Amino acid sequence: MATVKLENIYKSFGETEVLFDINLEINDKEFVVFVGPSGCGKTTLLRIISGLEEVTSGSVVIDDKDVSNAPPVERGISMVFQSYALYPHLSVFENIAFPLRVAKVSEKELEEKVFKAADILQLRDRLDFKPGQLSGGQRQRVAIGRSIVRDPKVFLFDEPLSNLDAALRGDMRVELAKLHQNLKTTMIYVTHDQIEAMTMADKIVVLHDGVIEQVGSPMDLYHNPKTKFVAGFIGHPNMNFLKTSDTDIKQKKLSANIGDFTLDLAVDVSDIKAGDEVDIGIRPEDLVVSSNKGGAPMTVDVVEHIGATVILYGTVLGNSDFCAVLPSDSVVKPGDTVNLTLDPFKCHAFDSSGQALLKS
Amino acid sequence: MFKPKTKAQTTTLFAWALIAPAALVMFWVVVWPLYETFRLSFTDSTLGTLMGGAEYVGWENYEKAIGGRKFPSIVTRTFYWMFLSVGLKVVLGLIGATLLASNIRGRGIFRALVMPPWIVPIAIGCFGWLWLYNGHFGLLSNFAEMAGITDGPYSFLAYKQSAFYSAVVTDVWIGTPMVTLFFLAAMQGVPRDLYEAAYVDGASRWYRFRRITMPQIMPTVISMALLSAIWTFNSFEIIWILTEGGPRGATTTLIIDTFKTAIFSYKFGAGATRAVLVCILLGVFSLIYLTVLGWVGKKYGYAGVQK
Repeated sequence: MATVKLENIYKSFGETEVLFDINLEINDKEFVVFVGPSGCGKTTLLRIISGLEEVTSGSVVIDDKDVSNAPPVERGISMVFQSYALYPHLSVFENIAFPLRVAKVSEKELEEKVFKAADILQLRDRLDFKPGQLSGGQRQRVAIGRSIVRDPKVFLFDEPLSNLDAALRGDMRVELAKLHQNLKTTMIYVTHDQIEAMTMADKIVVLHDGVIEQVGSPMDLYHNPKTKFVAGFIGHPNMNFLKTSDTDIKQKKLSANIGDFTLDLAVDVSDIKAGDEVDIGIRPEDLVVSSNKGGAPMTVDVVEHIGATVILYGTVLGNSDFCAVLPSDSVVKPGDTVNLTLDPFKCHAFDSSGQALLKS
Repeated sequence: MFKPKTKAQTTTLFAWALIAPAALVMFWVVVWPLYETFRLSFTDSTLGTLMGGAEYVGWENYEKAIGGRKFPSIVTRTFYWMFLSVGLKVVLGLIGATLLASNIRGRGIFRALVMPPWIVPIAIGCFGWLWLYNGHFGLLSNFAEMAGITDGPYSFLAYKQSAFYSAVVTDVWIGTPMVTLFFLAAMQGVPRDLYEAAYVDGASRWYRFRRITMPQIMPTVISMALLSAIWTFNSFEIIWILTEGGPRGATTTLIIDTFKTAIFSYKFGAGATRAVLVCILLGVFSLIYLTVLGWVGKKYGYAGVQK
């Protein structure tokens, strides 16, 4: 049973302010992912929760206890570092046992706990090895083992998969998800990789420039991004944005003109007036090739076949870098022109400050 | 019969040609003097035989040197001098490096302040100490008198024991900065993550030093201690400037004895013998040292490296 509450957290390093008024509630047993581009403050926020950094103001509450000024060991957390931070001079056994030795746990209990963790992580036959003799994935598991033996209330992961190759990263994602199901502990995970966030999280926290942009379940963020930043960050390939040349409001609907095209969008138009510039967001996977001559023509520059789908990059209505995802049986060559169309209901619209216009 | 050279042979020849100049210089400045010392040690070469006539005397020089009345005490003193001085340098170096590695305001200044004993030419540093140790004009004697420790001028270099330990103090003063800086460099090479991971697990400062810093910098400590041991064993100018090996031989180490014999008494053969003995003793010491530490390293995994 462990909840984490962040209240009005501000953090600055000297003159540089890195976090502004962070408020967040994390429920018991939740897998929360902090995601954002580098420099957004996600690692700093994690380090504040761990106790490695102090807050400039605000408070960290774990299990209804304010731990803002408590050292890490009293917070009931354990942390897995990006570099794994394994002790190179100690065996795998001693690495995993390290926190227990610090806590002066009896030899018998220590052995029991280390073996148990090693069994969970399939490291039983590696206990006598040195970290230098292990593969990247095994080192990762040792680092996780070291945090398991402490029986923490909250697990903290700082970009734990970023040093692994792509294939291994996929495997470890699954392993971590399983681990979460087995341990049933609150986990906070930091990554810059939105795929990791989408696949593992119960709740995603998108950070950008030191503020929380949006908090929600992966599919909530995917379908209802509140800002243009979130819309562009979540989803792969990235969402396309088209600037309107003119807008109009007809019967409480937004009528967006992009070149010669007009899209009628059912969005909340109460804060928008005719003529305002609006960004239209279109997910590449929402586009379909129109069977008749309707739709917007796309001049295709690059075609990527990735098996399940075909990804096209090209120019649409004067916007280069436009991307469309088509079924794998689509026959398109670079230089072709295809007519794309889509369900206007799937479009997203953002005002000039980047806030989403809610779908009505 | 004429066999064309293969490509491999040409390459080898070319390689030899490239290293030949360096090899010649090395031969001239290292191999030949070594050989000459070795050869001299078996002769009765003195100033008188310099123009020729030095004769091969077999093991006589060695028998005399090792069998000499003072030899055992000189060897003991040399090793005692080395262990004491190196031990102090390593301990002080560790303390200094730890302090300099800590995150304090103005640590750049402190780091720079460590350097002078090492930057100042040894001879000049020693003359400074000579004045400090002086009985009538020396600072230390004065302070000791003012503090009531002594009841009159005390000449530190005039008595056997105090002269020896004064020389140790000066040697440590000169030798510590470099040891400190090497340790500091090694400490800075320890990834910060390791300390943070240990801190998150609740490890105290001392615990982190003992279980992370020490094992991580052990390879540096080991090699630095060995280098320092060799330098201290052969440390000549400090003792020579302070005491010239006196009073009554109290600070005569092997290297001082070698110098006194070979240069002061013009007994080149007997001096060379002592030089060879220094080589052998240091060689044996290094071998034992490295072997023992090899075992220890294997047991505790000091040499463990992580990518």
